[in-house]
Amino acid sequence: MFWLNQFLQGVLLGGYYALLAAGLSFLFGVMRVINLAHGSLAVLGAFIMMVIYQTLGISPLGGLALMLPVMALLGVALQFCIIEPSLKGGALVPLLATFGLALICDNVLFSIFGADTQSFAADIGTLSYGSWAIGGIFISQLACLVFAAALLVLGGTQLLLSRTQIGRRIRATAEDEDAARLSGVDTRLVRAATTALAMVMVGLAGAALGASGSFDPYAGGPQLLYAFEAVVIGGTGSLWGTLIGGIVLGVAQGVGGALNTHLSQIAGHAVFLVVLIARLYQGGALSAYLRRLRMRVA
Amino acid sequence: MSVHDSNTRDGLSRRLLVGAGAGVALGLGAGWRPARAAAANTLRIGFISPRTGPLAGFGEGDPFILGLVRKAFANGLTLNGTTYEVTIFDRDTQSDPARASQLAKDLINGQQIDLMLTTSTPEVVNPVADACEAAGVPCLSTIVPWESWYFGRGAKPGQPSPFKWTYHFCFGTAQFRDLYISSWNNDVASNKRVAVLCPNDADGNAIRAHLLPDLAKAGFDMVDPGGYQDGTTDYSAQIAMFKKAGCEVFCTFPIPPDFTSFWRQAAQQGLTRQMKIVTVAKTGLFPSQMEALGPLGYRINAGAYWHPAFPYGSALTGLSSAQLASTYQATTGRQWQQQLGPSLALFDAMVATLKSAGNPKDKSAVAKAMSRLQTTTVMGRIDFVNGPVPNVATTNLIGAQWLKATSGKYKLDYRTFEHAEDPSVPIQGPLEPYKM
Repeated sequence: MFWLNQFLQGVLLGGYYALLAAGLSFLFGVMRVINLAHGSLAVLGAFIMMVIYQTLGISPLGGLALMLPVMALLGVALQFCIIEPSLKGGALVPLLATFGLALICDNVLFSIFGADTQSFAADIGTLSYGSWAIGGIFISQLACLVFAAALLVLGGTQLLLSRTQIGRRIRATAEDEDAARLSGVDTRLVRAATTALAMVMVGLAGAALGASGSFDPYAGGPQLLYAFEAVVIGGTGSLWGTLIGGIVLGVAQGVGGALNTHLSQIAGHAVFLVVLIARLYQGGALSAYLRRLRMRVA
Repeated sequence: MSVHDSNTRDGLSRRLLVGAGAGVALGLGAGWRPARAAAANTLRIGFISPRTGPLAGFGEGDPFILGLVRKAFANGLTLNGTTYEVTIFDRDTQSDPARASQLAKDLINGQQIDLMLTTSTPEVVNPVADACEAAGVPCLSTIVPWESWYFGRGAKPGQPSPFKWTYHFCFGTAQFRDLYISSWNNDVASNKRVAVLCPNDADGNAIRAHLLPDLAKAGFDMVDPGGYQDGTTDYSAQIAMFKKAGCEVFCTFPIPPDFTSFWRQAAQQGLTRQMKIVTVAKTGLFPSQMEALGPLGYRINAGAYWHPAFPYGSALTGLSSAQLASTYQATTGRQWQQQLGPSLALFDAMVATLKSAGNPKDKSAVAKAMSRLQTTTVMGRIDFVNGPVPNVATTNLIGAQWLKATSGKYKLDYRTFEHAEDPSVPIQGPLEPYKM
């Protein structure tokens, strides 16, 4: 029973990691951009949501509904102002540019909101700590909701990519931008739409963070780390892989913590490292691995 | 950041402004002040605290405190018949220990400061104190449990103090012990089985080694699942253990975001329902940390190192503790927070030191005066003569409980319920049992 509980809590935690990693995974899979501002942008999303629902005096759910379009617009701006110009400078420049964006984002948030710890807990009633008791196992309602959101986001994006016109265009742009352009695809627009979609996912992750934990202007760093680990464990660029990666990370932490409380974090990092090394050996060199990824993207 | 950095032009215009203001108010004669020799009669004070970054909560009130203090020093500081101009160089460590050390060295070498003040967490205070000790500049600090400051910087138990220039006033594990024993034997009955959530970091390990055995000796059954890493997101193992042991008292020393995650999970998994007394430290210092918990934060208690109910005042600014809190709320619109007390106490203790030092520009006389300092600040009595070790004076912790505010614009009240360490602090109400 104890182990079953640990395992289940780990799976539920994995849902949060998967939701957190979805935007990072999608942006990397399609755009080859590793967005180091990912965690900070999730925190930004949480702050935007908080400002919206508190100033308008509406429910946090309403705030979420209004925040997501704002994040989408920010995504378009991010694409045109930062990612597109920096991609011209080579693969390393977007990495540095988004790292700079993360620093700016953190400090601007700090100068506006101060260092206060924020959370939606007070505004979502009993949802923040409500749970269902099944036998001796407690299942958190919020964690289930977040898990469902992760399934919906990752599954929905997968369907979008495989079944729709825009999905085909996104995939075409990802695999060979020049050929896609020759075939009449407006790749600039496709890229903007991709970033907008990724930012919507980031916004959802921010909302989940604010509801299930707390955030402050400097909370983005650790979030980026977890998202990154989930993406790498699941296989960079693969969306279902990201869900698996999140769950593996969550379960590793839960089971590690049960063996010894010291091991919780280390177990997660260790799984990340083992998977990373295994993938490198399996694919030969790093470059070969990345090339292979390009082929089976999304 | 800093309002006036030894910039001659700034200094001049400020002096003109002050002179003009005084002239208007009191007539031209009162505007005249004795001419001051520039460098020899200027006291240069460094003030280093965390104002941005993860520790920014501590430094939030510092601009306000510095404003009060600069106003109090506007006409200089008169010591033994000589009036000194006081220039304060305030610096922000951005919560980075390496930067704290760098800032301290810059102030010592670049600005030639006469005395250093610093506060809030070992990450700020210890590197600054080390730099001052190495350079032979007197340094007064607070808000690091004194064991972390004293032993954490290389002093050995039972041996003479290795520090000549650095002095520190703060609570230590003995104060936590007295506070916890008094809080848990208070109005709320429990089975005295205590759940301990203590991370594997500097503070957590010090607590595990020094405080937990004392509490066990005092008749509490301490249930400690062992250290965990800061930043852990899943606590189901600890929660299962506490539930199984039937703990009714909870005690913790986590970094604030970890407590928020833990306490939510504890509520989800039914642990909070069995708790009667919930005592936190390191988190729960500031209102925003408790507001983040929502209704789960009501009736949690913590030690207060300063509170508006303290019956002490600041000689420098003329404010009582209650006035300090109300002035802060009126000026900034934000709820008072306990770091206001120690930040102001540093300046009051500094003035008391300089008064007894003879020549305030003589660094070794100032350091010697610190070692003999006995004074009262908003935090209460500071007594370096009767400290637990040389260079250290202890201050008190008063038990206080976060309650849903019944009136006013702020969401929470922070009410004292216990005063074992300083009975002159009034008790505002009984401890209420935790419930959700």
